[in-house]
Amino acid sequence: MLRDVTLGQFFPGESLLHKTDARFKILILLVYIVGVIAANSAFSFLLIGTVTAVLVVLSRIPVKIVLKNLKAIIFILIFTAVLNIFFYSGETLLVDWYFIQIYKEGLIYAGFMMIRLICLVCGSFVILTYTTSPLDLTDAIERLLSPLKKLKVPVHEFAMMMTIALRFIPTLIEETDKIMSAQKARGADMESGGLIKRAKALIPILIPLFVSSFRRADELAEAMECRCYHGGEGRTRMKQMESCFRDYVFFTVMLGVCIGVFFINGYGVTV
Amino acid sequence: MSYIEIKGLSFSYDEEGGTKIFDNLDLSFEKGSYTAVLGRNGSGKSTLAKLICGVLMPDAGNITVGGLSTKDEDELFKLRRKCGMIFQNPDNQLVASVVEEDVAFAPENLGMESALIRKTVDDCLAAVDMTEYAKHATYKLSGGQKQRVAIAGVLAMMPECIIFDEATAMLDPLGRRDITARMKGLNKEKGMTVINITHYMNEAAEADRVIVLDNGRVLMDGTPKEVFAEGDKLRAANLATPQITELCDELIALGYKLPKGILHTMEAADAIEKLVKG
Repeated sequence: MLRDVTLGQFFPGESLLHKTDARFKILILLVYIVGVIAANSAFSFLLIGTVTAVLVVLSRIPVKIVLKNLKAIIFILIFTAVLNIFFYSGETLLVDWYFIQIYKEGLIYAGFMMIRLICLVCGSFVILTYTTSPLDLTDAIERLLSPLKKLKVPVHEFAMMMTIALRFIPTLIEETDKIMSAQKARGADMESGGLIKRAKALIPILIPLFVSSFRRADELAEAMECRCYHGGEGRTRMKQMESCFRDYVFFTVMLGVCIGVFFINGYGVTV
Repeated sequence: MSYIEIKGLSFSYDEEGGTKIFDNLDLSFEKGSYTAVLGRNGSGKSTLAKLICGVLMPDAGNITVGGLSTKDEDELFKLRRKCGMIFQNPDNQLVASVVEEDVAFAPENLGMESALIRKTVDDCLAAVDMTEYAKHATYKLSGGQKQRVAIAGVLAMMPECIIFDEATAMLDPLGRRDITARMKGLNKEKGMTVINITHYMNEAAEADRVIVLDNGRVLMDGTPKEVFAEGDKLRAANLATPQITELCDELIALGYKLPKGILHTMEAADAIEKLVKG
């Protein structure tokens, strides 16, 4: 059960999005998010929708997988749509039945909101989560935030912590599995009972897990010391992050899209 | 002067100087030697390894590795670079999620240039026959493969000495045999000083010198032949001789005239053949 967890849901590949420098991808995603949130007219949503579709195609991630992810937010989608339809007050009244009033603007706004959410989820998964290995991601974050080192923010240490956390997720999942089996063999019951009873049943799993994690941390620290680890100072990297012309082009295009959204925001159906 | 010199070492985990792990221990290891350290649990084997690598500091006495004292804090990184260590649990010593990233960890810490790191990593992975796994996730490897990656990670520092701290304890027999063979290779082919701390007598028999620790003292010190010839003394320290040595000892006890201190199966077979053919 626990073994099926895929880490960060990264899909290795060779597409344009996979090859783009992770630092640029973070920046591109930020610009994209600004664009999606700023959009408020039919035309700008058309633009954003097209861009998202193009991104999905460029990533070469099967559309099925992207749609599967949308399933996870379906509840939020319906919830926001319903709220907007029933509680948005505009000018053109469509339905007026007892206490229910539905306005045309409400319907439009609900539609926009849904498109916005879908774009946000698809876009950010395609740009970053699906196409960037977790290691590249931490690396990129470390490098992007490195100016903060001047302000004594321990950027390297945070990145190291993230790297190690990622490294140990599968190990700890395996360990949890083992402890669960061991406790079940001793007659622990984890599947029946109410919420509180089940939560209580987790305690005999969490405590050994914590104890062993601390022991692991201790050993890992020793092993790291033995391999001359002494913080980020004077540390070099094997993989140099090299930005190429393509990355700049990609970023500029996304910036153009974002600015474009602001320009055409007033056109078409708006609310 | 020997490569690793331990003089008058005293050490205790207890700050108030309670139970002492070591009390006035003298020991030395020659450059290019292959030594096995035996001892029951709590005899101070692993503590000794950590003291040599400078992870722990002695309460009294002095340890030098290649002329560098572990007490000299400025030289600590030079010392750790000279003397690498492989730990027991393969999972707890791999830092990165990808094999080659993990091997690159030490060179990155040492501040090597990225092109040089690349070359070092490729060379070290080739040295442990893991080149094809360079881009694999570390957690998916088998125990033996993980230890091979760990060895590559230490080799990447270009050390002169490697200490294996029960590095085979969590491996299956195949992995154990593989890692033991690699220890020998590192010693014989690359001239590295190898210290193998172990519970397995068969592994110890492969070394050129065996040291038996008991209660923080050197109980026995000599070639495997010399040490394993004294089965009674070993059993008194809660240790056993290799299976084949035990078999021969029992045969000797029954009155068969076999030489003492036989370590390998083939050696025993030859000796018995000689005896039978008379």
